[in-house]
Amino acid sequence: MRILAVLSVAVGGIGVLLYMALWVFMPAADEDSSIGGRVVGDRRELQIVLAFSTAVLAVLLVLQAMGLNGLGIPAWSFLAAAVGSLVVWRGASPAESARLRETLNAAPVIGSTPGTGWRVFAARAVISAVLIIGGISELSKIGNYSGAAFRVLVGAVAFVGGFLVLFAPWWVRTLRELSTERRERVRAEERADMASHVHDSVLQTLLLIQKAAGDPSEVTRLARLQERELRHWLFNPAMLGRHADQPETFAEAMAGVEREIEDSYGVGLDLILVGDCPMDDATSSLVSACREASLNAAKWSGCTDLAVFAEVEPNVVSVFVRDLGKGFNPDEVPADRQGIASSMVERMVRVGGRVTVSSAPGTGCEVEFVLPRCAGDR
Amino acid sequence: MTESARLRVFVVDDHALIRSGIRAELGDAVEVVGEADEVEAAVELIEERRPDVVLLDVHMPGGGGRAVLEAVITTAPEVAFLALSVSDAAEDVIDVIRAGARGYVTKNISGPELLDAIRRIADGDAVFSPRLAGFVLDAFADPTGQGVPAPSFDPELDQLTPREREVLRLIARGYAYKEIARELGISTKTVESHVSAVLRKLQLANRYQLTNWAT
Repeated sequence: MRILAVLSVAVGGIGVLLYMALWVFMPAADEDSSIGGRVVGDRRELQIVLAFSTAVLAVLLVLQAMGLNGLGIPAWSFLAAAVGSLVVWRGASPAESARLRETLNAAPVIGSTPGTGWRVFAARAVISAVLIIGGISELSKIGNYSGAAFRVLVGAVAFVGGFLVLFAPWWVRTLRELSTERRERVRAEERADMASHVHDSVLQTLLLIQKAAGDPSEVTRLARLQERELRHWLFNPAMLGRHADQPETFAEAMAGVEREIEDSYGVGLDLILVGDCPMDDATSSLVSACREASLNAAKWSGCTDLAVFAEVEPNVVSVFVRDLGKGFNPDEVPADRQGIASSMVERMVRVGGRVTVSSAPGTGCEVEFVLPRCAGDR
Repeated sequence: MTESARLRVFVVDDHALIRSGIRAELGDAVEVVGEADEVEAAVELIEERRPDVVLLDVHMPGGGGRAVLEAVITTAPEVAFLALSVSDAAEDVIDVIRAGARGYVTKNISGPELLDAIRRIADGDAVFSPRLAGFVLDAFADPTGQGVPAPSFDPELDQLTPREREVLRLIARGYAYKEIARELGISTKTVESHVSAVLRKLQLANRYQLTNWAT
């Protein structure tokens, strides 16, 4: 794109104009609105740009009336340039305006410090008036001196420089105020977000807990639910709002199991996760098998706390589901539980993994799942 | 430590409810020599009363548990710290450990377990809860999977030995030290020394190696 624009300079320079226009009116790669779009879209910005254009036009008209050729083609093009640069300035994204500001602050005449007195302002006004009027008179004489390219240059620089000297401090200040304003707005939004979350979720749960005060298991369940939600909200905000039924990673899916078991069976499930990987058929079989194991433990062990440890390593995913309940002899499992166990084993074998159940009466139970990962997963 | 001399414990937590809860859980088994609800008071009182063990909240206004540790570790190096919290981001917990706490447990720990943890901390051992073990495994994760250490100034410090990894995994699976010893066929003392070694590595390791906390 840029190369095309440079090449087109050779054939009349239309490409340069086109490139500038595209820059102003096309959104940058990582933004959703263009520079021009931002200015036109914001009523206040539009007003500033219009007022400024009117003021410049008025100056030109006055000059015209004074007999200077203020409305010639050069004057019009400078009007366009001035308005254009204002549009760019006001509509620039924070990153772009930061760059502009840096450039400006580096310039000695323009860099403004707050609290400079009226003397500085007067000096500025005089300098800019001299520059502007000088520039315009130079430009207006173009018709009289053919081939006075140097004068055009001097006139143009003086004209634009005059405006810069006059308006730069104001622009810089407005820009600064604008960014402070943005920051404050973001902060206020965060506060409102927090308040609404506390209201919607925490206060409601507290109310429910008060109502259910006579039922310890319900109180525990509610408290766990709230704790989990709050923990998520504080430490893992990216996962909020995603659809829980379609976890994208193994860790999300395991968190889903934790939620389900705690909510449905009133037991605590202490989930420790190390590492993560995307979901595929094999890992989702692993997650279902873990769900069954946790469910079994929640239903049969008589234990109120389960420990689940899941680790994703480069070559293998392993999960341990452990309870300290009454335990059993794996060889003498009643028929109705045999089915569950074998379905767990089948699931895992189908995807190339394995299950080991270690338990004895009185020592609790631990189910170990191991699922090798193919090299392609990484 | 003899049975007759009760351990002197100091509680730092900004929530009065939690402080009284901890006192109630501990009962008469230890002597609670004081409590504080903010960093400055905590530093002053700990330096004055020299408890054996400080139970330290990870999150507090004014810099959290880490600020207390950093202030006291030089003036009262004999005081041992056990970090205690409801639920935290891995970085915060690891930060407190790196600042000098000898262990981390969550506040839903039962009274007897907490007492056991306090005794072990006072004996100079490290106390890793399953969650901390998970955080540490994550932090020392081997990104290549080949056991090849990433380039580093001191590979000894930046890698866990296979045995240390095994011990941490068993802790994360919810095993008590005694069960770990039985499982691995080693003594409880050896398990403790592995955990202490991990703690030392954690406190000395090059921050850049612990990629998972930096992100």
